[in-house]
Amino acid sequence: MPIRLLIRNMFSHPIRTLLTGLSVTIAVFLLCVLDAAIGGLDAAVSQASRTRLWVQSAVSLFVNLPDSYESKIKNVPGVEEVVRFQWFGGVYQDPSNFFAQFAVDARKWKESYPELEMIEGSLEEWEKARTNCIIGTDLASRFGWKVGDKVPLTGTIFPKSDGSAWDFTVVGIYESKSTSIDQLTMYFHYDYLYESLDTGAAGGPGGVGVFLTRLAEGADAATTIGAIEELYQNGPQRVRATTEGEFQRQFISMLGSVPTLLYSIGGGVLFAIFFAVLNTMLMAARERTRDIGILKSLGFTNGKITLLLVAEALTLCLVGGGIGVVLAILAERPLWSFFSAFIPGFTIQSNVIVQGVLLAAGLGIVAGLMPAIRARRLNPVTALRSEA
Amino acid sequence: MATGIDIQSVTKTYSRGGETLRVLDELELGMAGGTFYALMGPSGSGKTTLLNLIGGLDHADTGSIVVGDTRIENLDGSDLAQWRAENVGFIFQGFNLLPVLSARENVELPLLLAPLSGKQRREQAERALELVGLTDRMTHKPKELSGGQEQRVAIARAIASDPAVILADEPTGDLDRDTADSILELMQRLNKELQKTILMVTHDPQAATYADQTIHLDKGKLGHIEDNRTAATGS
Repeated sequence: MPIRLLIRNMFSHPIRTLLTGLSVTIAVFLLCVLDAAIGGLDAAVSQASRTRLWVQSAVSLFVNLPDSYESKIKNVPGVEEVVRFQWFGGVYQDPSNFFAQFAVDARKWKESYPELEMIEGSLEEWEKARTNCIIGTDLASRFGWKVGDKVPLTGTIFPKSDGSAWDFTVVGIYESKSTSIDQLTMYFHYDYLYESLDTGAAGGPGGVGVFLTRLAEGADAATTIGAIEELYQNGPQRVRATTEGEFQRQFISMLGSVPTLLYSIGGGVLFAIFFAVLNTMLMAARERTRDIGILKSLGFTNGKITLLLVAEALTLCLVGGGIGVVLAILAERPLWSFFSAFIPGFTIQSNVIVQGVLLAAGLGIVAGLMPAIRARRLNPVTALRSEA
Repeated sequence: MATGIDIQSVTKTYSRGGETLRVLDELELGMAGGTFYALMGPSGSGKTTLLNLIGGLDHADTGSIVVGDTRIENLDGSDLAQWRAENVGFIFQGFNLLPVLSARENVELPLLLAPLSGKQRREQAERALELVGLTDRMTHKPKELSGGQEQRVAIARAIASDPAVILADEPTGDLDRDTADSILELMQRLNKELQKTILMVTHDPQAATYADQTIHLDKGKLGHIEDNRTAATGS
């Protein structure tokens, strides 16, 4: 019977109840997505390798360093290996099919990334031909590529002189065991790129975008960074060395204020929804002042009335919040394919789900307690005199 | 045994607009158990205030109100609410039914506070509705009932938990003459058959004739008590 009263009260204004529940749904959904995005960004930084340094131009990531830096960097104490990394920026069929491609030193690259595992094809196969490439499992899923497929890319930074496309053959598909490394990237041979530039088959800037530098066991990152930067303190081109975590952080900040803006707007919307829900529930409770007077006159204690009001708000918020959580879980995959290019670790974690449910419960308790506190103070005689 | 009401030196004041109104002034009144009383008096004489004090909806400033063997000024908070649930049934002029519940569910409301199973509550509510002649309207919501039917539901709710005292505040104030008469007859029957002590506030002298005695209040004090049974016998 109290449950019946609770449900009847909730549905005495079905549209208002529906809209209030929907507001909670949106708020919890938004919270789950924002949390997943923030968690993904944090994971990208926190799970980044501590044994890899990124050496780039001190001017900008878009300014290449001379090739000759490689051997000097490799001679710095504490450096185990140096891998050349070059952003390619090719287009597959249409610019909207954007994905990252890097030209790398294949053999040295695979030794530097133990957290990547080939699930199809092999790294040995990759080394066999200059036009071979490997791709991440998500990239393979996105375009339906499999081992043996030919992938033509039109160069934008490095266009072919005859206007044709660069041809690549997929020989391996990797999976990442770390959330700091995405599965949406193509890696191909650095030599393929620069031989094409040397022979004039393709145009584009010379040099190397980034020297990925692997530290020797026991080497101190800060000391090695200092030593590398010291090498070119006086030119010809100064370098900036950072740990992979710091590099990830900088890469994220390269997205400019978009994430900040997103979080600010998202947070603002979240608060606005909370206050709207709270206000609606307070109004609904105020409309029932006479009902509270009736219950008091029948002998309902303040405790029972509080329980009734809190249970009603809690039910509504938990149902709305539960739907929000379910929607967030269902939307995880589509949202991930949108976010994963710059937030590889975008996942709705179980703790985020718990947070969403707790938020809905908290909102329900506050939204129920506030009118309940007012109801406790209500004199039954005054309450009975109020308009229904 | 029917429950009597004893009121001794009860004073109640209200502050309105900086002015203190003495609504009840050292009121002394005794009411015998199982008797149907009408409470009359001009507006502001303290009728409804007295009803609310007896029902524990409000507290007297001074004095003592004893209902049965309970001194209600000694009760507070949940004890007072529980006492009210067990001992008092209210009937209001505006019926005061919960609009979202059916007639039976409204009658079941006070029974939620008693240690009864769902089935027992349902049966008890149906018995109360049967007593007021509304067996065919049990599943109707208040807005689907006439004023007289709504008041019958309110009466069924008031007697559902078998309280010793029924307090009615102008129960026929919103009803036409015929409907009012049938409600008053019903209350009279409840008094005679179930031995309920009934105190009914009314402005209607004809309604008061249904009561055994009429208490007249004037400016917060007892005016006089009129015995309607003697008057009826005399005429």
